[in-house]
Amino acid sequence: MMFPNLFSPLKIGTVEVKNRISFQPHLTNFAVDCLPSERHMYYWGERAKGGAGLIITEEMSVHPTDRAYEKLIDVYHAEVLPGFKKITDYVHQYDTKIFAQVNHNGQQCDGMISRLPVWAPSPVPDILFRETPKEMEPEDIEEVARYFHRSAIHVREGGFDGIEIQFGHSSLARQFLSPLTNHRSDEFGGSLENRMRAPLKFISAVRKAVGNDFTLGIRMCADEMIPGGLDLGQVQEIGAIFEASGLIDFMDLSIATFYNLYLVEGSMHTPLGYTIPLAAGMREKLKLPVFCTGRINDPVMAEKVLAAGQADMIGMCRGLICDPFLPKKAFEGRMDDIRYCVADNQGCIGRMGVNKLLGCIQNPAVGLEKEWGEGTLEKAAVKKKVFVVGGGPGGMWAAKMAGRRGHNVTLFDRNEALGGQILTAMKGSGRDEFGVIIRNEKEQVTKAGAQVKLGVEVTTEQVLAEKPDVVIIATGSQPKQYPVGGADGPSVYNVWQVLNGQAQVGEKVCLIDYDGHHRATSTAEFLADQGKTVHIITSSLFVGAELGPTQDLYLSRQRLLKKGVSFTPDIAVMEVGGETGAKNIKGFNVYNNVWDEWGPFDSIVLAMGQKSDDSLYTSLKGKVPELYRIGDSVAPRKVDMAIWEGHKIGREI
Amino acid sequence: MHNNKLDILVLLRETSDPRPPARVTTRGAAISDRGLRRVPNPADLAALEEALLLKDNLGARVTVLAIGPERLDDTIRLAFSMGADRGIRFWDHGLEGSDAVADARVLARITKILVPDLVCTGSRMADRGDEPVPALAAAAVGMPCISAAVSFTPKNEWVEAERKSDRGARQTVSAPFPCTVLFEEVRDPRYPSIEAVTQSLNVPIETWDLAQLGLPFWEIGAAGAYLAVADYGVPRPDPVRVVTPDPKLPAFERILSLLSGGIKAREGKLNTLSLDDTAAGILRIFSEEGLLVERA
Ligand SMILES: Cc1cc2nc3c(=O)[nH]c(=O)nc-3n(C[C@H](O)[C@H](O)[C@H](O)COP(=O)(O)O)c2cc1C
Ligand code: SF4
Repeated sequence: MMFPNLFSPLKIGTVEVKNRISFQPHLTNFAVDCLPSERHMYYWGERAKGGAGLIITEEMSVHPTDRAYEKLIDVYHAEVLPGFKKITDYVHQYDTKIFAQVNHNGQQCDGMISRLPVWAPSPVPDILFRETPKEMEPEDIEEVARYFHRSAIHVREGGFDGIEIQFGHSSLARQFLSPLTNHRSDEFGGSLENRMRAPLKFISAVRKAVGNDFTLGIRMCADEMIPGGLDLGQVQEIGAIFEASGLIDFMDLSIATFYNLYLVEGSMHTPLGYTIPLAAGMREKLKLPVFCTGRINDPVMAEKVLAAGQADMIGMCRGLICDPFLPKKAFEGRMDDIRYCVADNQGCIGRMGVNKLLGCIQNPAVGLEKEWGEGTLEKAAVKKKVFVVGGGPGGMWAAKMAGRRGHNVTLFDRNEALGGQILTAMKGSGRDEFGVIIRNEKEQVTKAGAQVKLGVEVTTEQVLAEKPDVVIIATGSQPKQYPVGGADGPSVYNVWQVLNGQAQVGEKVCLIDYDGHHRATSTAEFLADQGKTVHIITSSLFVGAELGPTQDLYLSRQRLLKKGVSFTPDIAVMEVGGETGAKNIKGFNVYNNVWDEWGPFDSIVLAMGQKSDDSLYTSLKGKVPELYRIGDSVAPRKVDMAIWEGHKIGREI
Repeated sequence: MHNNKLDILVLLRETSDPRPPARVTTRGAAISDRGLRRVPNPADLAALEEALLLKDNLGARVTVLAIGPERLDDTIRLAFSMGADRGIRFWDHGLEGSDAVADARVLARITKILVPDLVCTGSRMADRGDEPVPALAAAAVGMPCISAAVSFTPKNEWVEAERKSDRGARQTVSAPFPCTVLFEEVRDPRYPSIEAVTQSLNVPIETWDLAQLGLPFWEIGAAGAYLAVADYGVPRPDPVRVVTPDPKLPAFERILSLLSGGIKAREGKLNTLSLDDTAAGILRIFSEEGLLVERA
């Protein structure tokens, strides 16, 4: 056994959890009519099948004023019971425990959805939702406590093994505890004792509802990380009081608030296990089981944290969104087969932030476990000879899935290594973890029985001579050759040339950003890291316009500013290049249409879009029995769609 | 005292090196053998040394007793090489699952058979601390028992011993022979010579079994135990201290410290200065910290 601590049982309250892996609470947008759905059942069921000891559900809404997102489960309605029973029965088949997270988001809510005033301790608007709340009257506090009580009864009757109350980054309870959001002068504000009064009411209401023989815990924000907010020292004190109250059985932890949401779901620019010091700090003061969550996505690190006594339970959220079977694989010592989350945040938070169903760039089956989950892949009825051209993420997935179904698959790539555009993207500053996607798939392709041929530029003649039954084109895309006037001039490069070291970039560089994503910003950082003076001109309102949903914007801009990068927004660039020493960028402001010029720059780097590489597709069209095109070779998009389409075609042929 | 020569029985037990962490077996019923380093209990060896010193000075006959499986022969041979005269190992599979009371029956029985003037062993086990078996056995045979002894002097008809008492105090007690003395780990056991070690290999070890003790099987081991083990586990480990964010730091610095790959302990400063400047610098730091009082 490689991980004796990770796979040792733990008693939490009245339940015994078989191992120390908890699938942490997270929104999914899977609710239908504010009720639990079949999608939920299969989604959580897949993680139970995958060996997680504990599952904590997404946050469920306890009161009508708590409407932060449209698709929350309204746990205060008794109609949730049939759905709950189905879910808990399904999960219990796999010897996994399941707790329900209940929450009122307080000021972190959207009155546009509920069409009710937002409730909070004080009329302080949240940074994200920006709505001035109604200061809760004592009756309102009582009402919320009553709704907590009612909701907890549904949780217990629904067959859950425990209940967790959200006191973390997005919660009314935290807003009461924190001097930052609680400005009251009555018995619910001011001193610590007063600030704890409402949260304690919520806990007692839940305890009363579930009784003493049911597991109850809170998810506490260990440090708000904002001036004037709660810090670890205060939270240790608060935690000790909650523990002493005897009302709770465990202490789950989260970090930060919406002021610094990028700390809640740390991206790949955040160190692995970044919250360990906070968990260790809490555990030092408490006897209750303490959870640690935050970029602990591999069993080795999890084992270390447990062995060092820094936490009693390891929370994994994205790690298991990406690979539901991580616990099982770790238990069986199949480390090579684990698909590690790369903390790009595109598929999970990126989609959640814009109100889409939860997804994962590396796991197309998220939310589609019923259709695509473990055990749904069927052997192909007819064994075909399949050529996949292009070994990027899309091609690797197509080859893997087709190979697993028993087809005779050959995967070609013109480079000497698999990975396609990821090989370039991972060279951007701080983006190396993106390369883990290649590590995750490379071995699976050969394990699926596909043959890999590298360094081969596949030609039409070659394909026709070898007579495959199916050809899948996954040739990707390339930077546009001529996106703007003067792009072919001297000292004008695209981001690929820069990242791959094929450009002689001068000291003073201008990067034209029509991308808004890492392609532009990580290249700018890459150049600044080399000591160059970088200026970015973008057509958007601000640099990094696409980085918001993935929580990359804040740190990305912080780093750019620290590295001395300067910005000009709102500009449509019309021409680049010209005589040396002259102002060599021309364009106009997209709002007032006034023309201007910038420069001189020694080099110009263009992030101005990609063009599909579809030449092989076009020339094979009509000449082979089955021809498909996936990923960027259809239309240049992001890695999620390449993998999605690779997976899908691999299942269908 | 027979023939004016003390007859001493020394009980030698094995313990495990307490430094590597213990792991519970997957079944959850015992400590896993893996990674355990078994060693003779240091306090028992100190008791043996005490007995051997008596032998050197006054003449005594030292018998060592080990209760356990064959691997304990090594401990007995070590005792031979140090100077013990006789070695007995008792073992019966029925001893497993025992508790202190059942084990004490065995020791008491052996004491009754051997009738020593003194029973010596360590006061504590290195891995788990106090161990009541020798004291219970003494009670069972009606012997006095001196625990936590740090020194020991035999007089004519009685023994005198100094033992640890409250808050570092020492207490001198006396007791008549025969007597049990439990020693603190106060002496380093002697280091045997090569010849002694070689010779010890040829000395026969007596192995006793249950029949020789004449104890019924239901009085020993799990059958004779009053305690039943319901649950077995290691309590949660104490955290290995990681430096937690200093709450006195401004929030943005706390964030930076988290983002910089975990929080590092505050580092010392390294200055390379001339001797005089260094001395002046140290004096300045001392006076800033209030460690120096300036003399008028
Ligand atoms: C899409 C998404 C939604 C989340 N929603 C919640 C939530 O409703 N309640 C909560 O307590 N934490 C929520 N979290 C935070 C996670 O529980 C977890 O703390 C965070 O993702 C860091 O852990 P990880 O690095 O293992 O992913 C959410 C995380 C993600 C990715
Ligand atoms: S989308 Fe990215 S960050 Fe989110 S779970 Fe998948 S791999 Fe991890």
